[in-house]
Amino acid sequence: MLAREMVKQSLPLLVLCGIGAIVTGHVFSAMQDLFQPGSESFIPGLIVVIPAIIAMRGNISTALGSRLGSAYHLGIINEQDFFNQELSQNIIGSLTLSVIMSFVVGILAYFTSILLGFSPDIVKLVVIVVLAGTFSGIILSLLTVVIIYIVFKRGYDPDNITGPALATFGDIITILSIFGIAFFIGGVL
Amino acid sequence: MIYRWTRVVHAGLPILTLGVCVEIFAGQLLQTSQHTLLLFPILFLTIPVINSVAGNIGSVLGARLASGLHVGSIEMSFKDATLRENVFTAIVLGSVTYFILSIGIYSLASYLDLTLGINLVEFVAIMVGAGITLVCIIALASVFTAVWSFKKGLDPDDMVAPVVTTLGDTLGIIFLFVFIGVIVL
Repeated sequence: MLAREMVKQSLPLLVLCGIGAIVTGHVFSAMQDLFQPGSESFIPGLIVVIPAIIAMRGNISTALGSRLGSAYHLGIINEQDFFNQELSQNIIGSLTLSVIMSFVVGILAYFTSILLGFSPDIVKLVVIVVLAGTFSGIILSLLTVVIIYIVFKRGYDPDNITGPALATFGDIITILSIFGIAFFIGGVL
Repeated sequence: MIYRWTRVVHAGLPILTLGVCVEIFAGQLLQTSQHTLLLFPILFLTIPVINSVAGNIGSVLGARLASGLHVGSIEMSFKDATLRENVFTAIVLGSVTYFILSIGIYSLASYLDLTLGINLVEFVAIMVGAGITLVCIIALASVFTAVWSFKKGLDPDDMVAPVVTTLGDTLGIIFLFVFIGVIVL
């Protein structure tokens, strides 16, 4: 039964990911200092970036997981034949997208902030976004490989697992990356 | 070799850029609605959950449809029984998840003293109502995007995730406010 398999494999994960979203929200509210004008570590424009970069990260990672799921159903990647050209091409593609899209997000955030009456430091903003986007991209790609491998071993359908798992881990890792890199760059630049 | 990194990049860039633009807009939407957010502090916990569950269900459904289309086990039509079963299960899955999480969020909110202005029944009605509406639209969007991109010769795996998460993030906030308006205000 298709429905039963989908409920059995996805429902616990979906509830877990919902809880993950609550945790992410809390981490986010702990970062408030970076967004409050007047605070010492305030970085103008950063608040505009957050929803966009989280969504970008989730989109690129779930698309990677989704493609690998199709690859599995097409029989071109499996537990025995895992580290092959198909896998590496998919990962290189995702990482390239991460770098380019981070840059796009940084530039867009700069112009949006100007429209909203802030004047962000464009170099600082773009450097933070590109570093955070690339760094979280590398971690997420590694994580994708690990998750896919475990899913294969357990005999689950990767399509039921990779989307929610990667989106949730992606959110938390991206928030922490922005947080860490913003503090680091805030101190250096 | 079926996949090439250049093709992945080429297929992803336009749709991702569109998604990012909409997300920046959604972020502004959230900032301008701060007034309502402060009126009902429980919403700070609810918004990320509403958005992420819908996005997750949409991407599971999209990934399943994409695999089915690639392998040929799913036809590009709403008359296809497997396709309909997938959509139906996704909607049921979403409704159950929203129900479980609405009770979880309300418990956490009572513990954190954030339940100002809203009781349990109202909150469950709002979250499940907004959630089911959202998940139905996301499921349809997922099917249309998968079928449309497959027909166009694009890989549905690249297209569905950006479309459903972006829709989930924007419509999720809107439906939540609509249901609050109907049920509480």
